[in-house]
Formats: sequence, structure tokens, C-alpha cells
Amino acid sequence: MTLRLSPRIEPDVRSALAETVLLQQLVDACGSPLSVVLPDRMADNVAAFRAVLAGHRLAGEVFFAHKANRSSALVRHLAAGDAGIDVASLGELQHALSAGIAARRIMATGPKNREFLWLAARAGVTVNADSIDELSELASLVTAHRLPRVRVMARLSGFASTGARVTSRRSRFGVPARAIGAVADLIGKEAGALDLTGVAFHLDTIGLAEKVVAIEGCLAALDECHRRGLRPRSLDIGGGFGVDYLADAAEWERWTSELTEAVLGRRPPLTWDGHAYGLRNDGGTVRGALGLYPAHRPVAGAAYLDALLRAEVRAHRRTVGTLLLDAMYDLHVEPGRALLDQCGMVLARVLEVRDDGDGTVVRLDCNARDVSLEEHGVLMDPVVVHRSSPADPRPVGAYLVGNLCLEADLITRRRVHLPARPRPGDLLAFVNTAGYFMDFSATTAIRQPVARKVALYRDGGAWRWCLDEQYWPVHPGTEAA
Amino acid sequence: MRVDAVTDAIGNTPLLRIDPSVHGLRHIDLYAKLELLNPFGSVKDRAAWAMARPLLARAAGRGDIVVELSSGNTAKALAVIAGMHGLGFRSVTNRMKVPEIKDLLLLLGADIEELPGQAECLDPTDAEDPLTRMHRSLAAAGTGYLHTDQYFNPLNVDAHRHGTGPEIVADLDGRAPDYFVACVGTAGSSTGVAAALRRHNPGLQVVGLVAHKADFIPGIRTIDEVHEVGLFDPGVYDAIETITADDAVDGLLTLVRRCGTLAGPTGGGAYQGAVRHLRTVDAGLTGRRTAVFIVCDRVESYLSYLRERRPELFRQPARPTSTRTVTDAEAARAPSVDVGTAQRWVSQGRGPVVDLRSPFAYQALHIDGSINIVDELFAELLHGGLPFGRRQPVLLVCPVGEKSARYAALLTRMGHPDVHSLEGGIIAWRDAGGELVRD
Ligand SMILES: Cc1ncc(COP(=O)(O)O)c(C=O)c1O
Ligand SMILES: Cc1ncc(COP(=O)(O)O)c(C=O)c1O
Repeated sequence: MTLRLSPRIEPDVRSALAETVLLQQLVDACGSPLSVVLPDRMADNVAAFRAVLAGHRLAGEVFFAHKANRSSALVRHLAAGDAGIDVASLGELQHALSAGIAARRIMATGPKNREFLWLAARAGVTVNADSIDELSELASLVTAHRLPRVRVMARLSGFASTGARVTSRRSRFGVPARAIGAVADLIGKEAGALDLTGVAFHLDTIGLAEKVVAIEGCLAALDECHRRGLRPRSLDIGGGFGVDYLADAAEWERWTSELTEAVLGRRPPLTWDGHAYGLRNDGGTVRGALGLYPAHRPVAGAAYLDALLRAEVRAHRRTVGTLLLDAMYDLHVEPGRALLDQCGMVLARVLEVRDDGDGTVVRLDCNARDVSLEEHGVLMDPVVVHRSSPADPRPVGAYLVGNLCLEADLITRRRVHLPARPRPGDLLAFVNTAGYFMDFSATTAIRQPVARKVALYRDGGAWRWCLDEQYWPVHPGTEAA
Repeated sequence: MRVDAVTDAIGNTPLLRIDPSVHGLRHIDLYAKLELLNPFGSVKDRAAWAMARPLLARAAGRGDIVVELSSGNTAKALAVIAGMHGLGFRSVTNRMKVPEIKDLLLLLGADIEELPGQAECLDPTDAEDPLTRMHRSLAAAGTGYLHTDQYFNPLNVDAHRHGTGPEIVADLDGRAPDYFVACVGTAGSSTGVAAALRRHNPGLQVVGLVAHKADFIPGIRTIDEVHEVGLFDPGVYDAIETITADDAVDGLLTLVRRCGTLAGPTGGGAYQGAVRHLRTVDAGLTGRRTAVFIVCDRVESYLSYLRERRPELFRQPARPTSTRTVTDAEAARAPSVDVGTAQRWVSQGRGPVVDLRSPFAYQALHIDGSINIVDELFAELLHGGLPFGRRQPVLLVCPVGEKSARYAALLTRMGHPDVHSLEGGIIAWRDAGGELVRD
């Protein structure tokens, strides 16, 4: 018996998966692997974030972190709505502008070169600066090229906590929070070039406590700016709201318990070659840390934002949400992964199915970079899209191997559960992979193709598709609605 | 009992027979080992003292700090012991989840270090467990430290093998019980007690209780987490059973309300787990049997934990003069003024402007001449009646005009004829270009 990890599949995705003939034709036409994005769902995810902000009476923008997916369809769909976008490279900025997103709704984050800074300043987007050096480089660019005054935010890091010391992993980004004075001095000196609209952070953690500490630190920094006569009005808390990938908590609990048993040698392995995902057996005791994304996360996405806003800042005896509202600050968020929940899947053709030792090996015409679930530590079962009837209606436990000549090219090291044995020619659908797993890591190593992308959308009752780069939010479906 | 050091008062806790009418077992005498009566409040006093004692003299000579991976009772006991010996104590923890314990540790002079949460973007090269992180952070700090290492230190087990276990046997007139039930945290108490009892009764049945995976019960581990514990040996237990947070609270309520035992959640869980396990055994028994479970610590530190899970236990009757009693319709009818009128109100000095926002926000920017009474305090004042005279016009200000409308409605209902709320709040004031000052 293979233990299942059933993905959470919401009705739209389920309905798309039911279009087996269409999906087969798409892969026949565009090749394997194929990325499929569902732009419509993204608007619902944005609305959920907006609803949380509204519930706390907070003003602010939802900036989609573009890095999570390169799709044009998604970005153009976003342009048609009311969300903003967080761009992290010159290419992403150009892409956002060409999709029609207004400069006021664009936030430039991450490490930047001169060209990126110039275009950001020229176009009038907000520059979310990583360091004091970046701010001064931007100021000199603006002055030298006689550009209009640029809206900037200062990204901070290294926040100090009160009471218990809440530690965070070291970050390579951001101005140390204690150096806010130096930021304010520079802004004061460069008032003709830079307009400080607020401060920002992004912490790569699922921990709420760390974010509460960071928000507290940002409030203090904003206050310091006010004390020095500046009038910043917003706080940008970055991304990292998470996604709940699995349908069933009990499956996840069972699987992780059995993994521990397997690591201790008390049951046969659940994984390729006994891979232990970071755990090890040290004389009967489990050591190490489980290197997996907590795939079952009941509080994720907009609900995580809500929990954060409800968390109490002890020093002020008020919740984060009330403190921000009291101080009249706008709250910006930059969700990537969370806005792409249920927005896409990767399809891959089955090339070979053979039995080998403790499992069936299914070789796919794609590689581990095309569906980088394993690299991101997210475990969930794929869905089989049969071309005809299954080879055998009984379930199989399968290892999924890829098309690179590398031993390590396993699409999953975990033995996945397939409800029926696939045949060559069938497709595996990796659902809910639009956030980071689709194209962040894809390569053309050994001249294997990178997946094409198509957008799937509803027109009246029917599903329609087009190449990702052909999608504009003026297809018949949008007019009907 | 006269003692020279409070540590001499550790141990020798009573063994309380639970009234059969409470647990309903017909053939089994059920006893609670009242570890909550240790001087620092828990079963961990024994382990902390056993582990720290042999190292204290040397540590004191070198000025080392005592460190432990604990967010609960071990930390509490070690903080006290370290303090008594002039040493610092640092508690390193994944997450300090019980606020009262956090505050108590700070009060006792402990340093608390919370380790970072899991990364949102997985870094597969990061395979460090909390222990490794702790050692690294300590090494970086450069000071000497005494790590009591409760999850691996055999002295943790010995404290119970030589203390808790033999005390139970002595109190049962030299006989070991037939059943022993305990929650498993570090496994120190269950392993040590089981070893001592088995010497007297090789047929002893030991039930280890762990928390349900989706639940959090402070002080004990889930079935996966026990495998990370060096002292944990599955061979010690005849059965490992799961308890939920609900079980723990149910048992806690029985102990505190009916048995005069002010037990914390794991004591409650042990009671509930013991009764559940024994009930099935009881049905098939003819002769008498004896069972013992451990009440690890006290209820007082878990009030917020209980409030979160069983708010109804704390429900207070609604006070009549509270904004909670204001309906949406009443709030919508509350007297209000728009920004323009409010500006004239201020320039003509019609009456006090009360800003209900937090002091932090008020200090940053406020309407000139307004006074700050944060909403929580204002609510308290209203419980006592009107805080200003009826002939005194008042303008209430909050962020968006919602809270102020509720308070205006409430004050109107309390008989104030001239109280108003600023429509749209101070945000509307700001957005209309109204002046805001900072003193
Ligand atoms: C600055 C910034 N904002 C937002 C994000 C998006 O994070 P997530 O996709 O976890 O929401 C990232 C991710 O790396 C980031 O670096
Ligand atoms: C409240 C509470 N109950 C139970 C236990 C479990 O005791 P032991 O660590 O000896 O297994 C602990 C110990 O950490 C505890 O703090």
C-alpha cells in the first residue's frame, strides 16, 4: 500500500482536469512538458487578500510577486484587475509595463542593476530599496538624468525584539533596522530626487512571531522618520503567506509519521533509496530537520494575513491590525505563491512504466526542474490523465523519473500513489504548481525543451485555451462576464 | 518540615487516591502522584536539580550560563536554580507558545531565545536541527555554558528512578502498582519511574501518552517528536496512546473541580488517558488492581491556553455599558460630524476632542488640541458611568469613524445629549488635508 498525499483540488481545476481529450491534444500540439495557467482564479485570490485588508479597515495594495511565475497571461489578467505587481528584475519590470500595469501599481524589489533602477525611475514605479547604497545610486541617477522624483521604500531587516529574543535567519537583504536614521538623513539630503513613501520587509519564514517583531520594528522606524519631519505612509510586509497544498491533514500526518518509522528502520522505505528528507537515524534517535514544506497548512494565504493582523504586539497591547490602522498606515503585501493557489498545473507525458524493486518506475518526458516540487520540498500526488483505459485498474506506488541523464533527476523521491497503473502516452498532471514549481528552475540542459505555456480560460460553459503569449484579457469569456 | 535550601523540598510528593465516584472504575484504585507540589511547581524540578547539581560548583567558578532547550517547566526550574547559584539561564526554544510561562521566565531572570520558523522557500541545504542551531549560537556568543541536555541526559531518568519511583512504592506499602500512566516529554519521568516500579513488579503495564499530531499540549511530544528524544526507548512502554488537547482539558477540569488538584493540561491528559485505558481493563477484572498516573504541573500557567480552547469557561456576563451591546443600527444612527464641521469644531474650541487610538499612533500625529484616551481605557471608564458632564460637548475620533460611532451611540444611550463621532475618522481628516501635529 502506498500512502497517499492527495492534492487539494478546487472545482475549477477539477473541471479542467476532466477535459482529458483537450489536455491530450494540448500536449500533442505543444509537447511535453506543458505548463497550463488558469488566470481567472488569480482574481479570486487577490480578492481574498483585499477582503482581509478591508475587514481590518486597512488601505493598501496587493502586489503580486511576479518571480513566482513568468506567465504573460497571468500578468495581463492582473492588469485588468485592481492588483499591483512586485517586479524583481529589469525583465520583469518591462514585462509588467508591457502588460499594461500602471506604474503606480508597480513595486521594484530585490537586487537591482543601474538599468533596472533607471527604467523604474523613468517609468515612475516605486523602488523598494535594499540598501543605503542603492538609495544613493538611485538619487544620483535621478539627478544626473533629470528624472522626476522617485517614490521609494526602504527595506529593513535585523529587527530587535523585546521580552523574549525572537531570532530570524540571517538575511542578505535590507538596511539594518537600527540604521533607519541614516536612511532618513539620506532622504532628507536628496529630497529633490527621493520621496520616502514607507518602509518594507520580507522575511523568508512561516513564523508569525518573527513577522510581528518585524512589524513592530517597522512601526518604530516609521515613527523615527516622522520625528525627522518625513511623512512616510505605508508599510510593505512582503510575501510568504503560504499555500495549503494537501486535501487531507490525516494523510500528511500519517505520511510524516511513517517517514520517521522508515528512517528508524522500523518499516520499509517510502522513498527512493531510503531518502530521508534531512532526517537521520542516530542510534535509534531521529536527528536532523525535516527538509519539507509543511504541505498541509490550514492557515495559509489570506487567512495567514488575517492571523498576522490579529496577532498582538505585546509592547503596545494592541493587535497588529489596530496598530497599523491607528497610525493611519497603508499596508502593502507582496504574495507570490499564495496568489497562484489553484492557478495552474504542469502536464507531462508518460514514456515508460516498469516494475523495479519496491515500486513501479514511471519515466516522464520532463525533468525535475520542469516540476520542481522536490526542490521546493512540496510533496503531493499527481493526477493521471489516461488516454484510454488504464493498464491495470489497481493502484500503484510509483517513482517518477525524468528525461535527464542524471541519477538525481527524480521528479519525486517519494513513492507517489497513482489510483491506476498508467500506460505510455498517458499524462500526469501536477496540479497547483503555478507558484515557483513551473518555471523558476526550468533549464534547457542537454537541449531538452523548456515547457511551453498555455492559458486555459472559460468562455461561457466551455474551456478554451491559447498560447500564454497570445492571451489578453479581452477574450470572449471576459466580455460575457 | 524544616529545610536549609528550597531544593531540599524537591520530591516526597503525596500520592492521592482519586475518589472512585469520580473515575467510576470498579476494580481499580487510581492514584495521582502530585508532582505539582514540588517547590517550583512541576515534575521537572527533580530532573533539573539532578542534572544541574553536579555541575553547579564548576560553572559558578567560571561564570558559565546554564542553557536548555525548553519552553516550559524545565526552564522554569533551571532558571530558579541558576539564579540561586548566581548563574544566568538561557532558554532556547522553537516557539514560546504559552504567554504566561514566557512572562514567568522573564520574571525569574531568564533569557529567552526563540529560534527562527521554517523557511517559506525551502533551502534544501539547510539540515540543521534546533539543537545544532543552539550549540552554534552559544559557541558564537563566546561565553562558557552548562548545557543540561534534558533530552539526552541520563540524570533526567535517574532523578525518577531513585526518587519518584521508589516514593510511589513506599506509599503503596512496598508494592508497585499494576498500571502506570504518564505523559511523555523528555521521557525522563516515565522511563525512570517505570524502571523503579518494574523491579518490584515485572508485570507492570506502562502506558505512555503522547499528544495528537494536530494538537499542541504544552510539555509533551507527538508520536513523531518522541523519536527525536534520546532518552525515549519504545521498549519501556507496553502501549503508546494518543491524547488530544480536548482530552487534556476535560481531565484538567475533573481534577481541578472535583479532586482538589490544581493540575495543568498534561496532568489532565494523564488522568483522562489513564481512565480511558483502564476502563476497558476494568470491565474484565475480578480482583483489585492499582494504577498510578502523574500530575506534572499546575493549572495557573495555562489560563490563556484554556481561554483559547474553551472560551465558555471564562465567559463573563456582558456589562450593560459596553460597545458590545451597541447594535449596527444604533451605531449608524449615532450623531456624527463631517470633516468640515469637525475643523470648525476644533478652530472654535467647541469642546474636547477625544482621540481613541493607541498612544503610539497619537504621539506620531494627531489633531491639535485633542486628548488621547485609548479605546480600551475609555471602555473601562464607561463602565463606571459618564466620564464628562452632559453640558460638555465632545467629539470622538478613531481611525475610520467606526469605533467612535459605537462609543457615540453608547454615550448617547447613557444620556449624553451632545457627543459626536468624526465621520470617516482621522484618516478622512488627513485625506481632506486637515492639519495633524506631533508634539
Ligand atoms: C521581496 C519579496 N517579496 C515577495 C516575495 C514572494 O514570496 P511568496 O511567494 O512566498 O509570497 C519574495 C520571495 O522571495 C520576495 O523576496
Ligand atoms: C507539563 C509537563 N508535563 C509532562 C512532562 C513530561 O515529563 P518528561 O519530560 O519526564 O517526559 C513535562 C516535561 O517536559 C511537562 O513540562
